[in-house]
Amino acid sequence: MTNLLGRMLELRWVVLPPIVGVAMMAMIIGALVAAPREIIEGEVQRLMYIHVPSAIATYMAFFITFVASIMVLWKRDMRWDPIARGSAQVGVLFCGLVLLTGAIWGKPIWGVFWTWDARLTTTLILFLIYTAYLLARAVSDSMDEQAARYAAVIGVIGFLDVPLIQMSVRWWRTLHPQPIIFTSKPALPDEMLIVLLLGFAGILSLVLWLISLSAETERMHQRLAGLRAGVDRREGA
Amino acid sequence: MRLAWVVMEKDLRLAWRHRTGWLSALAFAAISVLIYSFAFDLAARDVRPLLPGVLWTTFLFAGVFAAGTSFQHEADEGTFDAVLMSPVAPTAVFLGKAASNLIALLVVECSVLLLATILFDTTLVTPELLAIVLIGTIGYVSLTTLLSIMGSRVRSRAALLPVLSMPLLIPLLIGAVRATGAALGIEAGTAPWMMLLSVFALWSTLISALLFPIAVER
Amino acid sequence: MSAAPIAVETHALTRRYGGIDVVRAVNVRIPVGARVALVGANGAGKTTLLAMLSTLVSPTLGSATVLGHDIGHNPAALRRSIGVLGHQPMVYEDLSPLENLQFFARLYDVPDAPARIEELLRAVGLWLRRRETTAVLSRGYHQRLALARALLHRPAVLLADEPETGLDPQGMALLDELALTLPGLTVLAATHRVDRVEAWATGLVRLERGRVVEDTVSLPVSAAGAGAAR
Repeated sequence: MTNLLGRMLELRWVVLPPIVGVAMMAMIIGALVAAPREIIEGEVQRLMYIHVPSAIATYMAFFITFVASIMVLWKRDMRWDPIARGSAQVGVLFCGLVLLTGAIWGKPIWGVFWTWDARLTTTLILFLIYTAYLLARAVSDSMDEQAARYAAVIGVIGFLDVPLIQMSVRWWRTLHPQPIIFTSKPALPDEMLIVLLLGFAGILSLVLWLISLSAETERMHQRLAGLRAGVDRREGA
Repeated sequence: MRLAWVVMEKDLRLAWRHRTGWLSALAFAAISVLIYSFAFDLAARDVRPLLPGVLWTTFLFAGVFAAGTSFQHEADEGTFDAVLMSPVAPTAVFLGKAASNLIALLVVECSVLLLATILFDTTLVTPELLAIVLIGTIGYVSLTTLLSIMGSRVRSRAALLPVLSMPLLIPLLIGAVRATGAALGIEAGTAPWMMLLSVFALWSTLISALLFPIAVER
Repeated sequence: MSAAPIAVETHALTRRYGGIDVVRAVNVRIPVGARVALVGANGAGKTTLLAMLSTLVSPTLGSATVLGHDIGHNPAALRRSIGVLGHQPMVYEDLSPLENLQFFARLYDVPDAPARIEELLRAVGLWLRRRETTAVLSRGYHQRLALARALLHRPAVLLADEPETGLDPQGMALLDELALTLPGLTVLAATHRVDRVEAWATGLVRLERGRVVEDTVSLPVSAAGAGAAR
């Protein structure tokens, strides 16, 4: 059973890169050429094809960190640590991308790069929490179990904090004057929807691939540190 | 439960013996209130809109600062291991520690409230405000206690603790500032903010008490 | 119980830190009443083995029991039956010796605590200084207080990690008298003082790079006598 699962997981190296390549190319061409120019917002609206899938991918990455952190704490198995760590790295990267594309879009549309809208604020807080997670993990080497467990606690609490953050930030904003954003969202035309779906396929598979690579790198760091310690010990004896 | 009490009593006694740590937290809090007074020129104008923010940033920073030092001795002297090797349930140890930190912090916070009452000529020592301070402090003390205990085994924890805990505490900060503002009559209705504060306090106490036994195992 | 009840038993007990087996597949069966010197170079795994038996560190693989209590499943009962003497005294510097013992007596729920505390403080020579702050006491007195703390709840098994550290000859005599050769107490003590081992130990376990390489105390696993565990 685990063997089969392991073999299927091995396939990710073969399957993911071509999916990423094809879907990303299709999305870029679609976003720049095929999709119609949005009438009100203009060209900058094309950022949506990256922005929205990246936001979903960020949540996915942080969810993987959450699950892997639970496993680090509960199963006391250091093999989950590289997954938690790699996934948090990619999550922070894409969270930054979401904030950045949002700001680029916000300037012409809202007139400002940043506004204290509930969703923006929540995303920023998430960015801070997982940057802190990476800091907590980075102060010690990859073999350090205590640091891994410390970071895992942040990984768990941070994710469980999300609903509270959302609730508090929403209340915080609704009792303040609201910036004028869309009140009702017009349904997307078919061409846009197709490109957006391509964007989802491209970005989500890219994120999965990056998480795999990142986790694999962390795993190798871990093994290398283990081998080094072993060599030191043998030489010392 | 009885053992949590024993741990709390011992920790309070220790907190009293190393009062330098807590006194510096108190001094830090007092100085930040003064610094805010100069920075926002609180002496000259109506301070009440700014006061909740000033009070709660002071409380949070002083609390995180104190939590970082409160556990240092126990970790260095190895006594925490001795307590973990005793038949006491880790949850009781955690509750005792959090309770002693809570009491010490409440003393610091009440002193700050008194100081601010004198400095800004605004009555801050009311039952409603004290309830808000109590619930808010319960909300952050359990998280900072958990993180400082765990962090005692990790390098460069002193710098890390504020960076780690502050983003997690943002919902609490928002709720506490708003509830305090409402209690001071700046805006209407403490009720939703009190609820947010209580939910956060319950959430953080539960999750810390649940994670603590798993987290201290080696 | 059979003729020779077992105090400490381990099955392939292993602890891995960063890819290295610091303690590797240790099997011992120490009978009740044995006094075992745990010897080996620095980094041989003595401290980690003791930390696992005192439930402070959980094993990566394998299992162990102390007086029949599994280290994983029944920690509270196990913790009640062991006394631990670390290479750090593990006492509160800012509490007095008396307050230290009172605190631990309440944690262990020691019956008749005041009398027991007085008895131990007198025995280790701290009774007259019981109200001073521990921080002002010398290293040797710290160690004596640690000894009192470890014995406070009358443990059946003493786990000690270099208990001689910081003790003067008089202190060592106390250590031998009160702990290492106390009748009925099972002792497992890591030590570098090989010269003193003869004076108190009834047997010896030698660790080398996490493995047991010499064992003169363990009982054979079966009556057939498969030989002492490795």
